[in-house]
Amino acid sequence: MEAAANGIALDVQDLHKDFGGIKAVNGCHLQVPKGKISGLIGPNGSGKTTTFNLLTGVIPPDSGKVIYNGEDIAGLKSYQVFQKGITRTFQITRIYREMTVFENMLSVAYLKIPMQQARQRADELMEFVTLTRLRDEYGGNLSYGQQKLLEFARALMTDPDMILLDEPAAGVNRTLLASLLERIHELQEQGKTILIVEHDMNVIMNHCEKIFVMDYGVNIAEGLPADIQSNEQVVEAYFGRRKTSHAEA
Amino acid sequence: MESRETTRNLSYLGVLCVVLLIVPDQVNVYYRSFIMFTMMYVVLALSWNIISGYTGYLSFGHVLFYGVGSYASAILVADYGWNWIPTLLVAAAVGIGVAIVLGYPVLRLKGPYFAIATLGAAESFRILATVWDDVTHGGEGISLPNVENSFSTYYAMMILMIVTILVSYWIAHSRFGVRLNAIREDEVAAAANGINTTLYKMIAFVLSAVFCSMAGAIQANKTLYIDPDTEFFILVTITMKLMAMLGGKGTVIGPILGAVVLYSIQEVVWVAVPQAHLIAFGVFLILVARFMPRGIVGFFVDRGWARKGMVH
Repeated sequence: MEAAANGIALDVQDLHKDFGGIKAVNGCHLQVPKGKISGLIGPNGSGKTTTFNLLTGVIPPDSGKVIYNGEDIAGLKSYQVFQKGITRTFQITRIYREMTVFENMLSVAYLKIPMQQARQRADELMEFVTLTRLRDEYGGNLSYGQQKLLEFARALMTDPDMILLDEPAAGVNRTLLASLLERIHELQEQGKTILIVEHDMNVIMNHCEKIFVMDYGVNIAEGLPADIQSNEQVVEAYFGRRKTSHAEA
Repeated sequence: MESRETTRNLSYLGVLCVVLLIVPDQVNVYYRSFIMFTMMYVVLALSWNIISGYTGYLSFGHVLFYGVGSYASAILVADYGWNWIPTLLVAAAVGIGVAIVLGYPVLRLKGPYFAIATLGAAESFRILATVWDDVTHGGEGISLPNVENSFSTYYAMMILMIVTILVSYWIAHSRFGVRLNAIREDEVAAAANGINTTLYKMIAFVLSAVFCSMAGAIQANKTLYIDPDTEFFILVTITMKLMAMLGGKGTVIGPILGAVVLYSIQEVVWVAVPQAHLIAFGVFLILVARFMPRGIVGFFVDRGWARKGMVH
């Protein structure tokens, strides 16, 4: 409750995860602001996706807390985290290949609405992501960009409070991306909290209000886009140490 | 749209019921048995399809439910003098119990590990039935008292088949079924989309077991003699699996078509070339796998002659 009152939607405290000696996430702290779009960036292998997996119960953390609406949700199973109102998409799309687009949408659980309404909602969301004409096509026959859109639409089926998007821009063409981002802003205006992992810096710098930077499993910086761009540690994580510092050493 | 389709399908099922009700009086005992066993395989293929077709957990040991059902019924009829009809409910209960106890550990396994675990479980039950003399009469088997049952077992199997078809149809066209399909396609994504995968898999496994055990129980009262090697025969699992795959697993009509076609072909081939019927059968299956990998239903869907998906 305390966190919510401070305008924090998700309070991640000292999260740890080892994979056989590799410290994938090593003491991560995030305070994701409520009702805003935030970005989580970092070089490849910095622990962003693992953090997403820990937050959404895909894998359990070794230690640490994830406070959401005053409750520690660390270690809950995926479907339980989902029930709390947090949905997500995956870096490599996980749509159901041998099910139609419509069935993909309808499979989502805890809808709490009758079948007829669920169908209507599925149809509306498919229309938004421009997949209506592929309604009865198998998910596996969609292009990668279309699969991304389907996964995004599926994550909206329950009208969640918080949405975690793992590289939503990858493989989506510019026109579609613009409309996707527009929808993300619409969701934010409705009061939803959005956390995006993304390598496309245009998306991060132009659309996120707060940015967290991870490297080697810890967050090394956070702040407004402008601050992050000029942060020495962030530049170093992405591009390595400046030559001058080598010379000095 | 959906409801019109359901009405049409239910009326087909109604016609099938009427035909099946009239037929036994018109044919001799051979054909009556033939139809009864065809219906039994429809039940078995549809049961296997619930856990393996809809949910994607390929069971290689489904015969164990058939076996425990037939043993539960046979023991009560032969040793305790029960009427065979109420034993069907006991067989169902035993099937459910075994499915829960077995499902708890094995449903945590995936792919080939699940397949091997179920295969091993079925073999363990065969051995258990062989060595547990006091209850199962061991390898000597159980003979059941002969009551006039060529009609009664026929009708019992018919009712069981209709119920199995209705339940399969309901699953395929409900959100429950769509969620089972989601588990088949990607369990991580299914859980991330709110599906309690452990619970859903368990329900599917139990439903899948219950019809199988009841089919086994009716069959025991038809054949009047059971022993561990026939009741837990791996070929029964393979047959139900092939039937579902031939017709098109993950659909309702697929396993029904597969059972009817395959059982009829088996019978014809057996009569025509008794020495080589397994070879002929094998060749047929290779041809099916080569030219219809997604079964009869998939063959139609791929050519645009049938709609994709179950829920529209």
